Amino acid sequence: MRRLRPYAIPYLLWMGIFILIPTIILIILGFSNLELYNLGVFDLTLVNFRIFIQDQVINALLNSLIYSVITTVICFIIGYPVAYYLSTLPEKKRKILLAMMIVPLWSNMLLRIIAWEKIFQPTSIINDLFGISIDLLGTPTGVLIGMIAMYLPFMIFPIFSVLEKMDYKLIEAAKDLGASDYQTFIKVTFPLSSGGVVSGVIMTMLPAMTSFVLPARIGLGKINLIGNIIESKFMKEVLGSSGASINQGALISLLLMIFSVISFVLITRVDKEGETLI
Amino acid sequence: MMKKSVKKKSLKFIGLFFTVLSYLLIFTPIVVIFILSVNASTKGYSWEGFTLKWYVELFENDVMNEPIMNTLLVAVSSTVIATVLGTAFAIGINALEKKRRVQMMVINNVPVVNPDIVTGISLMIVFSLLSFTLGYYTVLIAHVFFSIPYVILSVMPRLKKLDPNLYEAGLDLGCSRISGVFKVIIPNISTGILSGALMAFTMSIDDFIITYFTSGAEYMNVSTWLYATLSRGRSFTPAAYAYNIIIFTITIAIILFVNLKRDRKEKTV
Repeated sequence: MRRLRPYAIPYLLWMGIFILIPTIILIILGFSNLELYNLGVFDLTLVNFRIFIQDQVINALLNSLIYSVITTVICFIIGYPVAYYLSTLPEKKRKILLAMMIVPLWSNMLLRIIAWEKIFQPTSIINDLFGISIDLLGTPTGVLIGMIAMYLPFMIFPIFSVLEKMDYKLIEAAKDLGASDYQTFIKVTFPLSSGGVVSGVIMTMLPAMTSFVLPARIGLGKINLIGNIIESKFMKEVLGSSGASINQGALISLLLMIFSVISFVLITRVDKEGETLI
Repeated sequence: MMKKSVKKKSLKFIGLFFTVLSYLLIFTPIVVIFILSVNASTKGYSWEGFTLKWYVELFENDVMNEPIMNTLLVAVSSTVIATVLGTAFAIGINALEKKRRVQMMVINNVPVVNPDIVTGISLMIVFSLLSFTLGYYTVLIAHVFFSIPYVILSVMPRLKKLDPNLYEAGLDLGCSRISGVFKVIIPNISTGILSGALMAFTMSIDDFIITYFTSGAEYMNVSTWLYATLSRGRSFTPAAYAYNIIIFTITIAIILFVNLKRDRKEKTV
């Protein structure tokens, strides 16, 4: 097999091009006046940091933190019992139920968001068909329900995959040694599933924190997250509209990358080879 | 005793309750998409009777034609490229000594953990450095980029189970380095390759964020077309819901078929 090692080298190069280089550029962009479409001489400056005193940006940062934490906590409270319940089912039932949870993810994300948008209108198709009127468009509750529905599976899958592989002899041993159900869960089951919990928390929190279509559509643009700011700073530059500043966008992206790196270090600790990630 | 079984039952009840709630939350949008795809109303605020006209319109409407063709073309080509490259990389990574292998897998996880928006921006920056014009090719490269890690993650467990001596035996029996890969390794990891390919395909066909940042203003897939239409304050044809239901059904059929075939194969082996 040794002879096959060279096959890994191009991958390292490929990842270098698409991960390392853009990270370096983002750092330079954030701390200078470099123009992405007019590369050349640049001056280092801290002027881009001014973006952090804009109310709009401070609000978006706070919103990102609040919405992603609430979403993650609720997803965990709902998701852990679900993962646990699924893992106790007989094999056939378990497989079918798990497949049923994956299936909806094959539906277009944007259309799923639009579906929630339709549901949350006071005069909606749901109202017409079932007589239920839900008026949540433009409210924090609406955005949160949308986020929870969207990211819940990403909490359940990793926890389930750890619980499913767990050695049940350990639980029996704990009970034989006199532990109550509660003690067994706290001292054996939960610690053994902590790797899945860490992956689940990260896979829920990061996408929730950076989502921009969901808050824009369901929040009617009233609730901005960090993703909305990044979008406006970056995409408008590409599309050539006003109000864009790729340097400020880069600075906010770097802030986001700090979260990413922390998550990454945590995930690497519990699951080096990424087995809970798929 | 009595108390314990009551407690256990209530725990089970909580699990069941949350499970039902989860499926309700996850399936509600799908059901709504389905209803909207067979609803005669154009705006979708009210039910105006059952129709299949949107499914017919899908094949006649010129507006959606281009984004659909773009989506399918990128999905198919990026799946093929990512599967071939990902498998080759995985074989290389698996052959490394343990420490290096773990390091490579850690690097492999970066795009998986990174939020899509960061991946999208990073790719956009690289493309602008290389002065690539944003469009089909940049979207294709982007999709290959985010798919490869998933192919590697699904091929790796199969490779780990493979006895390295088999490959050496193949070489001793006269296989070249390449033919040994095709004759010994590939047949043994084919299920992993297939599930990696399926994952790459399903992710590419529904991608929005990364395509959005790497496609420029002209080139659109279905997701970015929907977003652009909505951003301009216009509404789109319900044929989009019909498209989603069709793609959704085809995906389920493919995965069901592959899984059934695999189960049968594993039973006979």
